[in-house]
Amino acid sequence: MAGLAGHWEMFSISNEIGCYVTCISDSGMLPWLLASLFMALLLFVSYLNAKTPGSRISSFIAAQLCMLASIGIAVSSMHCSRMLTIEIYTAYAGLSTLAALLLPRVYQRVLIGRHMARPIAEIMEWPQAFANKVGNNSNLNSSGTLDVYYYDSAIPRAFASGKAIFLSIGLIEIMDMDELKAILAHEVWHLRHRTGTPILRNLSMITFTRNCTGSELERLADTFAAKTVSRNAVESARAKLS
Amino acid sequence: MVKLDRINLSNEGLTKFFSPIEAQIMTVLWENGECTTPDITERTGIPLSSVAGTLDRLVKAGYAKRTVDRSGQRVRYLYSASESMDSTANSITRKVLDSLVDTFGKVAIENFHTYNKK
Ligand SMILES: [Zn+2]
Repeated sequence: MAGLAGHWEMFSISNEIGCYVTCISDSGMLPWLLASLFMALLLFVSYLNAKTPGSRISSFIAAQLCMLASIGIAVSSMHCSRMLTIEIYTAYAGLSTLAALLLPRVYQRVLIGRHMARPIAEIMEWPQAFANKVGNNSNLNSSGTLDVYYYDSAIPRAFASGKAIFLSIGLIEIMDMDELKAILAHEVWHLRHRTGTPILRNLSMITFTRNCTGSELERLADTFAAKTVSRNAVESARAKLS
Repeated sequence: MVKLDRINLSNEGLTKFFSPIEAQIMTVLWENGECTTPDITERTGIPLSSVAGTLDRLVKAGYAKRTVDRSGQRVRYLYSASESMDSTANSITRKVLDSLVDTFGKVAIENFHTYNKK
């Protein structure tokens, strides 16, 4: 009997999908539905390729809106069972939550590939150990590993994404040990600071450059760096980058 | 950077083929051999903020090369020119001649045969 019940369920779902397809194609909305799904896909790709924090957040939000529009179009053209609608909503909510949790990690892999980043341990020993120590500091409310990477560029830059901190060789060249420690502490604070808007914050790439001073988060990150290393180190690192 | 569409015959010296900053950096590398980043900023007198991106471009285009030196306490780049000034001049000349022959064919070649610098 169980087999029969299972078969009946399968039949019902394929029936419902059939009804869905008929409803949507009858209402003439199918091209619109496909177009908005395609737009959402393009926007997710541009989210992963975005170079600035602003364009990353806006492409992510736009992609979400396109997905919602697709669902809206599908629902508005429905005349049959409402069950599948609820199932699609649930599936989308689940998938987008998963995506929001996984995309920063995916983006981290994208950054490693784009900059051909290598583990910093290949050229220097102390930064990874220092980041581990600061990252597990009791003042910060989460722990776990943070990976420090270096990449080949003369342009002095530090940034963080997901669970990784990236330093250019150009930055390592011009900073002394205390200044590098201050920069690492600043980035660790960003990655570890989970209050506020974690998802949006994870979406925007965090940098240590002159154009990101000023904001409240930057001041807090600098305060943490000053406490961990010294106020002088933070200020001279900033001065070298301006 | 020695792209044919960027060649500017009305400029002076190497800036016919390179941007002014590229030309200054390449001259320092040709004249001094291996250089650190501070060597380059001191000898060109151009601040790091303007030199860094150009160094990345020169390395990417293959005119300069760099290694990561870890022999001292610090990590640093060591830059050098990929080829001597003469062989760079050679490849630029080839590029220009190729394009002249491409465009003007026999006329260009006849000019090379009768060419004598005044
Ligand atoms: Zn920051």
